[in-house]
Amino acid sequence: MEQAFVQAIEGTTINTWVLSSAWLWPTLEILHFLGLSLLLGSLLVVDLRLAGFFRQIDIAATHRLLPWSFVGFGLNLLTGILFVFGDPARYAANIGFRWKMVLVLIAGLNAVWFYRKIGPVMRSWDAHGDTPALAKLIAFVSLGTWTGVLLLGRLIPYIGTG
Amino acid sequence: MSMFEWLENTPLAIWVGESLWGYPLMLSLHVIGLAIVVGIFAMRDLKLLGSFDGVAHGSLIGLVKLGWIGFVINALSGAALFTSQATTFVASTPFLLKIGSIFAAAMCAAVIQSRSRDEAAGWDAPGVSVPGSLRVIAAASLTLWVSAIVSGRLIAYL
Repeated sequence: MEQAFVQAIEGTTINTWVLSSAWLWPTLEILHFLGLSLLLGSLLVVDLRLAGFFRQIDIAATHRLLPWSFVGFGLNLLTGILFVFGDPARYAANIGFRWKMVLVLIAGLNAVWFYRKIGPVMRSWDAHGDTPALAKLIAFVSLGTWTGVLLLGRLIPYIGTG
Repeated sequence: MSMFEWLENTPLAIWVGESLWGYPLMLSLHVIGLAIVVGIFAMRDLKLLGSFDGVAHGSLIGLVKLGWIGFVINALSGAALFTSQATTFVASTPFLLKIGSIFAAAMCAAVIQSRSRDEAAGWDAPGVSVPGSLRVIAAASLTLWVSAIVSGRLIAYL
């Protein structure tokens, strides 16, 4: 399966394009770091308030930061796909990368859970009060999974290649 | 022997540079600290520049302390990473640019913090906006953090 994946990507237009310029890879890395700062920065504010900390912040207004989470995520999804297209063999064989993708998936499902269960009701909560247990759970799952994503991503060059 | 050669031979530098987990551990701390300090300070800057209606200016002051925790994590992990290749880093233009950017961004943060503490309560009133001088500092801060990330990433390439 790994081999089929690598073969499907190697030689494609995008694969050749990513490898065509020496400057493209570092540029993608820079964008990936900027994206993670936007994603984690906005989620830190939202999730910590959702977990019941920093109650000076109006909880209903925290959704204003979420567009930056999507900008950061979109930037990193795009640059991330280009990394995989540029070096498919490396990522296909990397254990750290696989676990990173599992955590991204869990974080995504957790976000869906947030939008279904918390989004519609949080406006009716006390703007500066404590939050229900479910909100705290979702907030900690979010912070935990994204921290794991960050660590696994940074460790891809160091973690075993299967 | 220069100070930087001496640094490279300290037990810390040898542990970071040669042990199995020293370097990856410091890099891990450095990316967590980066997300905290740049993430929080960027949100604060965006708020000063007019984003996030409904989030009171003064309500973010507590979070800024968390941003400084990220700053300290990165100063410490960064210092440890520095020792392992001190002579290379001091001669690297992107590294010096990165340190300059961070130093300037920290000064911006200090000015924003002290002015917010004194004045932020007034900025949420209808018809009032953040003083222009402070918005300029917020824009400078955002630019400096982008510069720190760009130059930091380029250390490995230039």
